[in-house]
Amino acid sequence: MLSSEELERYDRQIMIRGFGEDGQEKLKQAKVIIAGSGGLGSPAAIYLVAAGVGTIRLIDHDTVELSNLNRQVLHGDNDIGRNKVDSAVEKLGKLNKYVTIEPIAETINEENISRLVAGFDLIVDAMDNLPTRYLLNRAAIENNIPFFHGAVYGLEGRVMTIIPGKTACLKCVYRGLIPQEKFPVIGVTPAIVACLQATEVVKYIVGIGKLLTSKLLVYDGLNMRFTELMVKRDPNCEHCGHLASTENE
Amino acid sequence: MSIRVNIHPYLYHLTNNQEVVEVDGITVGECLKDLIKQFPDIKQVLFDQNGKFINYVNIYINMEDAFPNELAKSVKDGDELHILPIIMGG
Repeated sequence: MLSSEELERYDRQIMIRGFGEDGQEKLKQAKVIIAGSGGLGSPAAIYLVAAGVGTIRLIDHDTVELSNLNRQVLHGDNDIGRNKVDSAVEKLGKLNKYVTIEPIAETINEENISRLVAGFDLIVDAMDNLPTRYLLNRAAIENNIPFFHGAVYGLEGRVMTIIPGKTACLKCVYRGLIPQEKFPVIGVTPAIVACLQATEVVKYIVGIGKLLTSKLLVYDGLNMRFTELMVKRDPNCEHCGHLASTENE
Repeated sequence: MSIRVNIHPYLYHLTNNQEVVEVDGITVGECLKDLIKQFPDIKQVLFDQNGKFINYVNIYINMEDAFPNELAKSVKDGDELHILPIIMGG
């Protein structure tokens, strides 16, 4: 039940067609994992907290470094050396007292991933490496949890929403591994991509609009263009191929 | 036959900064062969040392994923290809 203060706080979004108080209540009940609290995780967390997602589990094992500060907007000069999740929770806690934020300073791996995702409704992919993204994708498929992918490089970003068993998963689209290396990026790129991911999360929870499923949205900031590429489920996908085939959404 | 190949921004330096390259071919494989003929340096990001197509690059034909057997897929005059390497930054 939303309090009168919450109704006032969220008034402008409750006004959105199809949203209403019911939509806000759904957001309040939602439990969302944000995997990563860096370039993508910072803006994703800020906007999901502001929107009133009830519970957010923020997972990141890293500490804040000076070179993070051009893009990881939850962290500042005074946070260097701190756990990113501690730094993030401190700021997020001041944004919205109605949101519960669980900081988890762990490296996501095969041993802990089942425990980390258990009981949660959605996963936001805000990682910075492909192996962990694949781990999250597999866990999302196995636990039937919608997965909201985003990635950046330089002035380019990509976004895709994955509904397990229904739409193409990350492994249907990407099959290989690329070497882990320092990548170029400026803060506005993950900000745009994370806001698109957060938009998808809100739409999914509230149940409005059309999702970016079985489509890879490519944001090309250099040429200021968005391109939608059609992807499809791979019947031989090593993550989701075993699931009964349903139509692409 | 004229097929337009959209080059990914990372790869512009391999195509003399050309964003789109016109190629000939009736399959994706033939189109890539023609692309490499025009810009030999791009081969290194498309094929490994054994000549196998690299699996961290995706090919889209008219905006649709060409996987699997990308190289054997037919193309026709006016088709458009996109070459898209994986990105993973966050």
